[in-house]
Amino acid sequence: MSGHAKVERNLLVFAAWATSGFSALAFFLEGLARDSYLLSLAGVALVVVTFAIHIVINAVNDCGFSAGEATLGIGAFGVLALVFIAAWLDGGLTAVDYWSGLTLFGVLVCGFLLYLSTRHGLRGAFSRFHFKPAESGGEPQ
Amino acid sequence: MSSMSESVWFPLCSLLYIAVMLHWVRVSVRMNVGDGGFFSAAHSLAPWLSALVIAGASLAAWLVLGAGSAISDGGFSMPVYLVGGVLVALPGIVFFKRVWFAAERLRVSSQAELFRAYFQSPFLVAVVALVAVLFAIGFSGLQIRAFASIASVLSGGALSPLVASTVFGFILFAGVGIGGMRALGYLGFIQAALVFCAIVALAGFALSWSGGFAALNANLYQLAMSPDNARFFSVDGIIRFTGGLGRGGDAAMSHTAIANLSLAFALMGFQASPVVLKVVLSTRSPNGFAAGQTWVTAGFFGALIIFAIAIAGLAGLLDPALRLVPLLEAMQVSSPWFAAWIFIGIGAGVQLLAGLSLFVAGETLVRHLYKPYFNAALGRRATITLTRVVIAVLTVVALVMQNLTPVTVSALAGLALPAAFQLWVPMLGVTWLGWITRPAAVIGVGFGLAGVVLTEPLGYQLLSFLGLELPWGRWPWTIHSAVWGMAANVTAVLIISAITNRNALCEEAREVRKLYATALASGGEARRFRAFAWSAVLAWFFLAVGPGLIFGNTAFTGGDSTAPVWLLGMPSLWAWALAAWILGVGLAWFLSYKMEMASPVTVEIPPYEPKPRLRPDQSRAERERLGILIITGAVSFALVVLIAFSFGG
Repeated sequence: MSGHAKVERNLLVFAAWATSGFSALAFFLEGLARDSYLLSLAGVALVVVTFAIHIVINAVNDCGFSAGEATLGIGAFGVLALVFIAAWLDGGLTAVDYWSGLTLFGVLVCGFLLYLSTRHGLRGAFSRFHFKPAESGGEPQ
Repeated sequence: MSSMSESVWFPLCSLLYIAVMLHWVRVSVRMNVGDGGFFSAAHSLAPWLSALVIAGASLAAWLVLGAGSAISDGGFSMPVYLVGGVLVALPGIVFFKRVWFAAERLRVSSQAELFRAYFQSPFLVAVVALVAVLFAIGFSGLQIRAFASIASVLSGGALSPLVASTVFGFILFAGVGIGGMRALGYLGFIQAALVFCAIVALAGFALSWSGGFAALNANLYQLAMSPDNARFFSVDGIIRFTGGLGRGGDAAMSHTAIANLSLAFALMGFQASPVVLKVVLSTRSPNGFAAGQTWVTAGFFGALIIFAIAIAGLAGLLDPALRLVPLLEAMQVSSPWFAAWIFIGIGAGVQLLAGLSLFVAGETLVRHLYKPYFNAALGRRATITLTRVVIAVLTVVALVMQNLTPVTVSALAGLALPAAFQLWVPMLGVTWLGWITRPAAVIGVGFGLAGVVLTEPLGYQLLSFLGLELPWGRWPWTIHSAVWGMAANVTAVLIISAITNRNALCEEAREVRKLYATALASGGEARRFRAFAWSAVLAWFFLAVGPGLIFGNTAFTGGDSTAPVWLLGMPSLWAWALAAWILGVGLAWFLSYKMEMASPVTVEIPPYEPKPRLRPDQSRAERERLGILIITGAVSFALVVLIAFSFGG
């Protein structure tokens, strides 16, 4: 990708997350604050929409998620999961909070697996994580 | 919701926004090093990016802050605001494509340079600089002031408006001064997206807290049943021959059809201003103008105005607690994340226009006035540095004036749009009407500006200071200053073009006309539809924003006068404006594509190579010019003091 194409792709990604992504967060929080599963669900739906936009932008530009984006995404997922588990252990979650969180994480995990399987195929998706020792230079067992 | 949650979102979102902004400034600076794109982004902005930036810059924040408030104050008495999307798009359809090609041929990147090349007129360059400064200090300054007040409210008074506007000034300078036009383009794209989302979110909350669309209209119906409130739901006749505001004219009684029409012309000044043309001439291809103007500005942005901004304004009309600032204040308690997001969106819209205005003002003053006429030896790096200094100075002046002299800022803001509208005539001269001669364009703009100033508060306050009391006030006969100026402008242009040599074009102007006659010659279909296009445009203006608006007062109302029925479940003028918007989008499409005024064209434009000329040493002439400028300034100052001392006060 040329310098301009890369910058323009990044701009689109920034704009998508600044608008659709932030509205997803706002709706999700609104759902938790008002104890409304429907509003949280709208937030989760917007997360999916934002990922879809991001994937379309990647497809148009013939590229995948950058290393930085993947790191940020997985890191954010981990932090959110930790916060959710901590809140659950603390016992401060209402039923709506609990189901909203489970829906969010369930959708994210399913979406992640779906993305990998459509992009790399089922076998290829597995291979993204499964490193054979021979490939990494070790002795075959 | 805890107070901690209330207080954390506002600074958190602000810091996140500043971080994103600085990231794109850094990206821009790194790219500028390679291709020197500080002043024009090396003409590399993508067409789709420019389309969104132009739509976002086209009064988005002003419409949220100003038009929303105007609707809350006056209801549907000024329906011109509701079709603002179409109005701001039309000038772009008329000008952008031809201006882009002319600039590409002459290898220039701003309106001032284009006027200098085509008309060879320093006066027009100075007028462009003046308009840019008016936008930077007045028009944007007023919005920054309003935004700073919102920031103060949302921070619970922790930030005073002075501190908020100062912080905003630093952010503004960081974006514009460091990154230049490229940063404005890149950041403008994100800012436009943010401001559009903020408008939708704001309308969503206003609608939700009004009880939904049906409840909003039911409450409007209740309001309309009171005879005292009839003025909120009708346009007040065609014209009133008053002396203007401050001279017997009443603000509440000045919402006539002609007031709407003349305000429409003022709004149409924006896309003829140097601020928007800077984005146009930094774009790498003209092939996005038709889609941008038709679908993004007239269509999408127009829809936001007629639905979202109208709903937000009407909620404020019904319940003062749902006006912008109280609404955000209430949201800060119940949904602080949404309040912070809307706040950032509005701020992004204000920054987009203010940044562009400051940049264009700084560039025009340094690169198009100071350098060519007073210091031709100024190098490239020194020009950039000086432009940054001027931008910083303008930012400080704007901040000081916003906080110390808000009335003056308001008076200057009132001049920006009508003054920009006066540039329509030289723009038409460059693009479509080759018979407008250089003297006609120059004198026309001079008369136009005089007409504007004399029908705005700044003009009659200045003359009053000098001891001359004008017999009229602001906008006599309920006609906006933009039209008074244009009347003088067009009269002068017609007379002077008739008596001057219309073939006396400079070489650059001939090149541009040759380009239009060849590469941009209209196709057979466009020529066949010409009469129809004129009729369609005139009919749309008459019905959508002109005298035809009085039909809209009752067009969608049935029943008798004691128990009227809103046939579409909404006020008649709202439905009328909705129809006008839909037809307006159709008109924009027709002009852009069928009439080929903005349609995509793919031709290679070789740069114009001027004949080799001797470049004598300019330093002596530059010193003389500087001397003349100083002496003229001193004499003018002395005369003003003398007149004010003798007759005024």
